[in-house]
Amino acid sequence: MSKSDWNSPEAVKRLAKRHAAERRFKAIGLGAIVLSLAFLALLLFIMLRNGLGGLDWTFLSGSDSTDASVAGVWGAAKGSLLTMLVTLLISFPMGVLAAIYLEEFAPRKRWIEWVEVSINNLAAVPSIIFGLLGLAVFINTLNMPRSSPLVGGLTLALMTMPVIVISGRNAIKAVPPSIREAAYGIGASKVQTTFHHVLPLALPGILTGTIIGMARALGETAPLLMIGMRAFIATPPDSLTAPSSVLPMQIFLWSDEIDKAFVQNTSAAIIVLLVFLLAMNGIAIYLRNKFEVRW
Amino acid sequence: MTETKLTARNVDVFYGQKKAINDVSIDIDNGLVTAFIGPSGCGKSTFLRTLNRMNDTIAGARVDGQILLDGEDIYAASMDAVALRARVGMVFQKPNPFPKSIYENIAYGPRIHGLAASKADMDRIVESALTKAGLWEEVKDRLTDAGTALSGGQQQRLCIARAIAVSPEVILMDEPCSALDPIATARIEELIDELKESFAIVIVTHSMQQAARVSQRTAFFHLGSLVEYGETDQIFTNPRETRTKDYITGRYG
Repeated sequence: MSKSDWNSPEAVKRLAKRHAAERRFKAIGLGAIVLSLAFLALLLFIMLRNGLGGLDWTFLSGSDSTDASVAGVWGAAKGSLLTMLVTLLISFPMGVLAAIYLEEFAPRKRWIEWVEVSINNLAAVPSIIFGLLGLAVFINTLNMPRSSPLVGGLTLALMTMPVIVISGRNAIKAVPPSIREAAYGIGASKVQTTFHHVLPLALPGILTGTIIGMARALGETAPLLMIGMRAFIATPPDSLTAPSSVLPMQIFLWSDEIDKAFVQNTSAAIIVLLVFLLAMNGIAIYLRNKFEVRW
Repeated sequence: MTETKLTARNVDVFYGQKKAINDVSIDIDNGLVTAFIGPSGCGKSTFLRTLNRMNDTIAGARVDGQILLDGEDIYAASMDAVALRARVGMVFQKPNPFPKSIYENIAYGPRIHGLAASKADMDRIVESALTKAGLWEEVKDRLTDAGTALSGGQQQRLCIARAIAVSPEVILMDEPCSALDPIATARIEELIDELKESFAIVIVTHSMQQAARVSQRTAFFHLGSLVEYGETDQIFTNPRETRTKDYITGRYG
């Protein structure tokens, strides 16, 4: 075999081709990112242009009204906060406990496989169906008050819980088995091993999944239509059982108005919702960094 | 004069349908180091893990036969696996300190077993365990540093200290030096030699030289069976079984 000649015309051509492929890939990848970010930028630009003028104190502190100039977003925002509170309080402990049980305690039996498949399916069920379920169970059977943050929160919790279970299981699975062995090896029980060692290490991942699930619930409109949260509510809810609206529903209602003046309100409410979501993502990043254990 | 600490009689271990250990009977004595040697997959680690019921944590693992600790059946219904593991401690192949401070790594065991009455008591236990593991001088000024920030050899000694801190009677070591460099290995071997005064030590090792250096008794495992068990000197200089001889002279393994 002769030594390959890196200066021969064929070799130079081959190399040039490879470099061109590298450049092409970089250009396409960059293009994909720019395109997707461009839509975000466009969205932000349009919303800010249309809505920024409407963001004043009257708007931020008021509730819905038939008069666009006095209609405000606080009623819906407070409704969203109360709803999210209920969702978090129900879905987080339930989801985390289910994830821990399935990963650490459940026997490897047939019925557990069924549970796992069911939870994965539950996460993929269209949200409007959860709305129907909420209507049938919470309102018609348990006689909870219609349009209330309580029922809204419970319904959204049903939807969020599988997301928390799935992300929680992945986070727990990612904890190295050597940590469990270390704890067992000095006589820690299963519960001690799980709660002292596994859960703290899995927490950042669980929290990230929870906030992603919560953010999805915050933007959800369809299931809330079914439980009557699309009513016209002119006062902020003063309890979990008071009739209430939520931000995405308020956006939907205003976008449906014939009065041109509501266009600004719609955009301004979208800005408020986006700020809400950004704040939640910010909290997620903060919590993840705070609890992250460096090895 | 030595006394028997652990007795295994006709022990079989199954992983599902597969038989990993076949009819092993062995006596492990107090005050000395017993080495388990044998080629990869011969079952030496599996057998080690039956001695503190670590196999309980693996789904599908089943143990038949009898294992006695001071005459008490450790697989009896009356024996609590959690309490057993406090009495029969374990050090693993890869150093696995908790991602917590050095102090917390040691204090965790005594705390869950309620061994310290006060903070001063706990400080004393931590210092004593680290001293016995030969780590105190190196870490006494940085007990709040992360255990995972230590070097590999120091981490393994931290794990040994963590096992010592709950005052076990037996310490099982599963290839404790396989992830360490020769200097750190020598340090651990010295430590094992000191520790045998206070604990019965069982060490699984891949290295025959290590078995010859640190142990007084050696058990040779092959294909899930205990082929030969005796004084280390005798096993290495005058093995009774051909299979043992072939292994220690490097014909297979």
